[in-house]
Amino acid sequence: MVIQQSLSGVLLEDVALTLEELARACDVEPDWVVRHVHAGVLGSQPAVQVTALRFRSIDLMRARRLLRIERDFDANEDLAALVVDMADEIRRLRTRMHVLGNKTA
Amino acid sequence: MEYKDYYKVLGVERTASADEIKKAYRKLVRQYHPDVSKHKDADAKTKEINEAYDVLGDAEKRAAYDEIGRGYRPGQEFRPPPDWGSQFDFNGAEGNDFFADLFAHVGRRGRAAGAGPGAGMGGMGGMGGGFRMAGEDIHAAIAIDLRDAYQGATRTVTLRVPEQDASGRTVTRDKTLSVTIPKGITPGQQLRMKGQGHPGIGGGPAGDIYLEVQLNPDARYRLEGTNVYENVPVAPWEAALGASISVPTPSGPVEVTVPPGSQSGRKLRLKGRGIPAAQPGDLYLILDVVLPPASSDRARELYEAMARDLAFNPRERIGA
Repeated sequence: MVIQQSLSGVLLEDVALTLEELARACDVEPDWVVRHVHAGVLGSQPAVQVTALRFRSIDLMRARRLLRIERDFDANEDLAALVVDMADEIRRLRTRMHVLGNKTA
Repeated sequence: MEYKDYYKVLGVERTASADEIKKAYRKLVRQYHPDVSKHKDADAKTKEINEAYDVLGDAEKRAAYDEIGRGYRPGQEFRPPPDWGSQFDFNGAEGNDFFADLFAHVGRRGRAAGAGPGAGMGGMGGMGGGFRMAGEDIHAAIAIDLRDAYQGATRTVTLRVPEQDASGRTVTRDKTLSVTIPKGITPGQQLRMKGQGHPGIGGGPAGDIYLEVQLNPDARYRLEGTNVYENVPVAPWEAALGASISVPTPSGPVEVTVPPGSQSGRKLRLKGRGIPAAQPGDLYLILDVVLPPASSDRARELYEAMARDLAFNPRERIGA
């Protein structure tokens, strides 16, 4: 049976996730998120009360990538963050090359 | 559905130890990681590897997989027994038919409804009220064209999701969603559809769907953030003398002034004509001087006249 529905999603840029919602979307404990925010590897906000933390698309994507590397390779959070940062830089440079007309980028 | 041999995917024997499986998985993940791999099907391969490890890397899932998969060959039509796996607790992989069908029959791992300590760890909620769990979220991607980012669009995605049938049994269904793509969206942004994920259990809330927006490759335009880049061919006399030219852009044709003395690679910025996000991007037109072919006597005469009369040395800067 096929179910058909019309939906309008909400952009995380318009309605950001709370701490609990991000934790749930990543299938982790909220403590995992808080620990990574305090370590400076997740989120871009200055230190605020954890209940006031809000997360947008880039944070959700980054949290899921961090988690995957930590789990897949038993990596600690700093090493996982380094890997994700380097992968981001590779993507940024590839985009730049593509924009400048490099067909192999 | 076709049976998938997860052992073959990871390249290990069926008797492999947990450590051997983990080592094989890590090696393949590094080999096919989309950020570093040159394989054209790296994305698909990574998903396949992850799916295999989701099962074989978990002792409980592996035992269930071995139990039901005995005697099957890869690609063979596969039907799990109707009552299999009732003793197991699984957290399904994303967006895969074989996996979804395989594990639809069993109680999925959920979250204690109401959050708090234990949320996200598959605990049971509903203190004193029996078994109550929130449903899982679904994470998927939706590909759009650049035009959709400029104008907004409606796109259809089909997800295989578990549903309760009339007898309370969990079965998989194809769920086709017609999703409104808002104007101004950019790749990497996430659309959340609350309550559209896996159903909760015992009155627990349903999970959500998160759709990550991806952009289909475009032959004409290139995107960086909200800025859009477009190559614009111009004739040598347009570049040399300046001209007013009509250029097709994602938001419609525009008249553009090419400044005299332009060279290939010169960028003309059209402010605010990039992706119409909250802070609109810019459109950059990159001039590309195209030479007419010297394919007729007259064309050759003109080139020869230029060579004779202009005394132009394009290699002056490199000392030639």
